[in-house]
Amino acid sequence: MSAPTEEKKTVVLTTSDNADLTVEREVAERSILIKNLLEDLGGDNAEAIPIPNVNEAVMKKVLEWCEHHRKDPPASQDDDSDSRKKSTDIDEWDQKFMQVDQEMLFEIILAANYLDIKALLDVGCKTVANMIKGKSPDEIRKTFNIQNDFTPEEEDQIRRENEWAEDR
Amino acid sequence: MAPSFTTLPTEILETIFLHLDPQSLVSVSQTNKFVKKITSERSIIWRHFCKTHFNSWAPRHNFTAKFAGPLSDVDWRALFLYRINVKRETLRKLDHILGTQQGRIRYINEIADFGYDAKETLLKECACPDDAEDVLARRYYANAILERIQREMAINVWKDLYSGKDIPIEKALGAYDMFARTGGDVDFDAITEDLDRIQQAVLEHHPDFRDMSTRTKASTLASSLREQGFEGVPDAARSALRNSFIGLVLRSPTHDSLPLISVAIYCALAQRLGLDARPCGFLFHVYCLVYAPKDYTLDGDYKPTSSSDLDFMYLDPFRSSDEVRQGDLRQVLREMGVPSSEHASFLSDTNTREMVLRTARNIMNSVQTIRQTEAGVYGIHSTWLDAYPDMDNSFYATIWAMMMLGPREDEAGGLSNITSRRRQYLPYLLEHFQTHYPWDVTLLEQYVIPLFYNQPEGQRLMSFVHSMHTLDGMRNPQKPRHSGREDVPFKVGQLFEHKRYHYEGVITGWDASCEAGEDWILNMGVDRLAHGRNQSFYHVLVCDKSVRYVAEENILPVDPSVKPSEAMLKLAGRHFKRWDDENHVFVSNVRDEYPDD
Repeated sequence: MSAPTEEKKTVVLTTSDNADLTVEREVAERSILIKNLLEDLGGDNAEAIPIPNVNEAVMKKVLEWCEHHRKDPPASQDDDSDSRKKSTDIDEWDQKFMQVDQEMLFEIILAANYLDIKALLDVGCKTVANMIKGKSPDEIRKTFNIQNDFTPEEEDQIRRENEWAEDR
Repeated sequence: MAPSFTTLPTEILETIFLHLDPQSLVSVSQTNKFVKKITSERSIIWRHFCKTHFNSWAPRHNFTAKFAGPLSDVDWRALFLYRINVKRETLRKLDHILGTQQGRIRYINEIADFGYDAKETLLKECACPDDAEDVLARRYYANAILERIQREMAINVWKDLYSGKDIPIEKALGAYDMFARTGGDVDFDAITEDLDRIQQAVLEHHPDFRDMSTRTKASTLASSLREQGFEGVPDAARSALRNSFIGLVLRSPTHDSLPLISVAIYCALAQRLGLDARPCGFLFHVYCLVYAPKDYTLDGDYKPTSSSDLDFMYLDPFRSSDEVRQGDLRQVLREMGVPSSEHASFLSDTNTREMVLRTARNIMNSVQTIRQTEAGVYGIHSTWLDAYPDMDNSFYATIWAMMMLGPREDEAGGLSNITSRRRQYLPYLLEHFQTHYPWDVTLLEQYVIPLFYNQPEGQRLMSFVHSMHTLDGMRNPQKPRHSGREDVPFKVGQLFEHKRYHYEGVITGWDASCEAGEDWILNMGVDRLAHGRNQSFYHVLVCDKSVRYVAEENILPVDPSVKPSEAMLKLAGRHFKRWDDENHVFVSNVRDEYPDD
């Protein structure tokens, strides 16, 4: 057990745009990717760890989340994706945290995926799911700027195929 | 390039979609070709919906096994859409059933064919809001269809048992629960879950269970069951109907049970725990026989023998966890005057089929007791409402059990005995089914007629079934009230008291004069009535579930301050939409026949 006076261990992360970010090891280890890397490098690693897929702005945001959730219990290694909670409830802090523009939201999701931070990935996906819920196809297209590449005939057919989902 | 929705990796899109409800998923799938492709190809999303949107599945799906198996083995999207369709069709057919009497039997059976896939939808309709326009009818028929589905599941279990399939005792007896009870927690699976839970508890309390000798295992299981609250029932409450239903015993907080059910629960658990326990069909009381493995004694000593006999002991899990000595059992038999040559048959183990038949007799006795002790002055009462499970359903179950599991070819009397014994039950079956469950005609067709193959009854039943289907397909002739019909003063929906017998009833139909057969008229002494046969006569539904035909002079409309009894409200759904408090009548659901009532 480390004494309270002992200086907290830190690591340096180098982002894709060559910024060096110094961060407490415990916080950085919310990322399973970084945690495994550090374990592989062994002992007291002093070298900067390159994170070539994430830029500084996104990395800072991700680390902000990791800092807030540093004491969370580790995610259970549950492979069964069906057991995940169906609910799209997100806690208040995370909701505020996710109030970013869409580009940043997707960047965070991609970074969480790459860095292997399951809980953050989940919050991101839930946020997107909540943006879809209850909207018509047209509204969804507008929200995410999705190109409609169906012909009117195709659209008609799809609507018929999916009539079952309409009433209720 | 800045990331956008459609450039996200498909795994991430899949995770997003897993958080959607089916409707939202369909909406998003309609936005664009690429998204549509992902949503329909990603089986995991549809499997997730199948799992989270539906609780009960017809056994034929083998849902648990399917879910545990490889994802790609099942077209989950098709399965989900199938279930959505079942729900939609169930509601559509139910509306038809509620709308007109024509084709009612047909539509009830069409829904029944969905089996447990329709269960959730039906349960939801059983719980429809009190202010639904057709609340009584909706609840009545949704429940009737669910009962019809469960009856068929139960009958199939007994059929399999009779044909020699290995049916666990809890399932064979659980069929009675399926026959007589409905609700979210009524299912063969619920019984299995309850037993599995008790098994877990036994192992938690006794982690060394598997290493014990047979004798210690036997008494440990018995005492463990008693610790978990399975302590039989005090003598006074012994014949209570509910004590014969294994599923109910497992679920009830007190676990009151008959000895037979205690033994069945014991045997079902023993089977799970690797202990050879079988019921013993003693006189008036079922005991339990526990056998040691071959070549071992009950105390676990190795004792090779060429004999196939196993070391055994008796238990009475209903009363205690102590071993019962065979000598004591023989003593009881002697005291009862059973010749010693017959002792062996009462002291040896019996099979599951015998246990089901014995339960049938126990249930019949309980129903009999209720009927006798609670009979009112004229034997017309609504005490059925207080009995749980439903008395008539329970009784009906016993007739079916006797019918399906009755004597076998290898038993006394042989082949000729089988049909004659079955013949005894046929009138009860027919009477019960015609009064309470006419839609069971399909069950009669499928399961009873083949039993009378090549017998005169078979032919008669066939033509009877045929005519029922024909009648069901026809529109009932209309009985309008031209110029007010002053000769028929009472209308359909009228709540009344019988002038002489004082029972509560409701009018479901009428004739301008008595149209019963001449025999009935003579038997009932119609001509001795003050106004004889030339007064209006009414088809009525009585609070005791019976259906009667009553002369105008015996109909006494109840005072507007009197509300229908709970029993009446429950039964009325067969013919009425709801109770109209303002006009003090039941609102007719038979307008196709009586358009002006």
